[in-house]
Amino acid sequence: MEDEKIRVLMSKPGIDGHWRGGIVVSRVLRDAGMELIFGGFQNIEQCVESAIQEDVDVIGLSIHSGAHIAYTKRLIELLEEKGLKDQFLILVGGVIPAQDFTELKEMGVANVYGPGTMTGDIVKFIREKVKK
Amino acid sequence: MKYDIDTLIGDFKKKDKIALARLISIIENHPEKASVIFNNFNQIKHDSYIIGITGSPGVGKSTLIGAIAKKLLEDGKSVGIISVDPTSPFSGGAFLGDRVRMTEISLHPNIFIRSLASRGYRGGISRAVLDITLLYEAFGMDLILIETVGVGQSEFDIYNLAYTIVVVMVPGYGDAIQMQKAGIIEIGDIYDVNKKDLGGDDIAAHIDMMLDDSTFNQTGWRPPVAMTNSITGEGVDELIEYIFDHKEHQELSALIKERKKKRFAYKVRELLYNKIDHVLESLISQEEINDISTKAIDNKFQIYDNVHDLFSDVKFERKKKE
Repeated sequence: MEDEKIRVLMSKPGIDGHWRGGIVVSRVLRDAGMELIFGGFQNIEQCVESAIQEDVDVIGLSIHSGAHIAYTKRLIELLEEKGLKDQFLILVGGVIPAQDFTELKEMGVANVYGPGTMTGDIVKFIREKVKK
Repeated sequence: MKYDIDTLIGDFKKKDKIALARLISIIENHPEKASVIFNNFNQIKHDSYIIGITGSPGVGKSTLIGAIAKKLLEDGKSVGIISVDPTSPFSGGAFLGDRVRMTEISLHPNIFIRSLASRGYRGGISRAVLDITLLYEAFGMDLILIETVGVGQSEFDIYNLAYTIVVVMVPGYGDAIQMQKAGIIEIGDIYDVNKKDLGGDDIAAHIDMMLDDSTFNQTGWRPPVAMTNSITGEGVDELIEYIFDHKEHQELSALIKERKKKRFAYKVRELLYNKIDHVLESLISQEEINDISTKAIDNKFQIYDNVHDLFSDVKFERKKKE
């Protein structure tokens, strides 16, 4: 029988040329047996539409532009508008200062991964939260 | 199961994309549920026209599909896209990187894009592709574009699923000898040399010669050769014209019926193979395979006998229906 796979969307909202982090984490998730949909540069509307059409379990935002609060806020708002806020595990990674972690989590982000994150921790966290 | 099928079917019939997305997941993960889902669509008579886009990795299939879909949307058509990328044989995971080339069209109300991992299925597609084309048809899509994984020479299952096949190549593909080989190079209804900004006149000429030499094709259709640059959109109009020419050619003859029949014959075989696969799994264990392969290291010429011995008592037959 075919087993269900954890599906993850990796999205880079806005104009932000720093691809490396998003690619590395995507690759780690691929190697952990997940199906990673690489969204690349997307605005938040495109990100949400991709998450819907791909029926993913996890939305990952990779942000290095300093605009993580604004983009994440917009994401949560749009998901709420569509009644989909509880459908996805939302993760944010990139150059995120530690003092912003709490604010992001209060918005509804499940976890935040700043510089120095061990990639294995991301895998472990997703596997714990997404039961498949 | 996360979702209730009846609720999803109700939403699906109201053209809800969330319901479509979830039904796709159910069909991909639980093929045994497909018949329950499809039984809700018996009243729907809509046919979509199915186009297959195939070619080696990196020739620009996704970008080209994005460019084709953009024009079709401008013409008021609705388009369903299925893009397949390979599943890792090691981790079972996949990096699906086709949608990223189609961002420009992704918010259009008349498009739906789904990325699939091949999940161990050979032949350049995934098991779920045919079922998803049925879902797209029930949803009312005018056209369906299927993108295969980046193929080598012999993954051409797409030939059984789509009514028009576009084989995409790029400058530097190979010489006249490559064009004479069997397999993927034979299945095109249309050939496209993409990335034409890099050249490619020689490839187009080689394809033309190959097509002129062909004595096999008796359908009255001589595949045309397009040249495109899918980033700028150059040549894409012409390619779409060829696609609709081919569609018309088949619809004016009985050919389209043959293509449609082929699609379902493929499904029949798939369902049968699926059954046989289950039987096979119950017949031989991983340990036995391991055992025979280990023995073969020292006795390689006996591999036939060893396998035959193991299955000498196995007989397949179809039970008579009372």
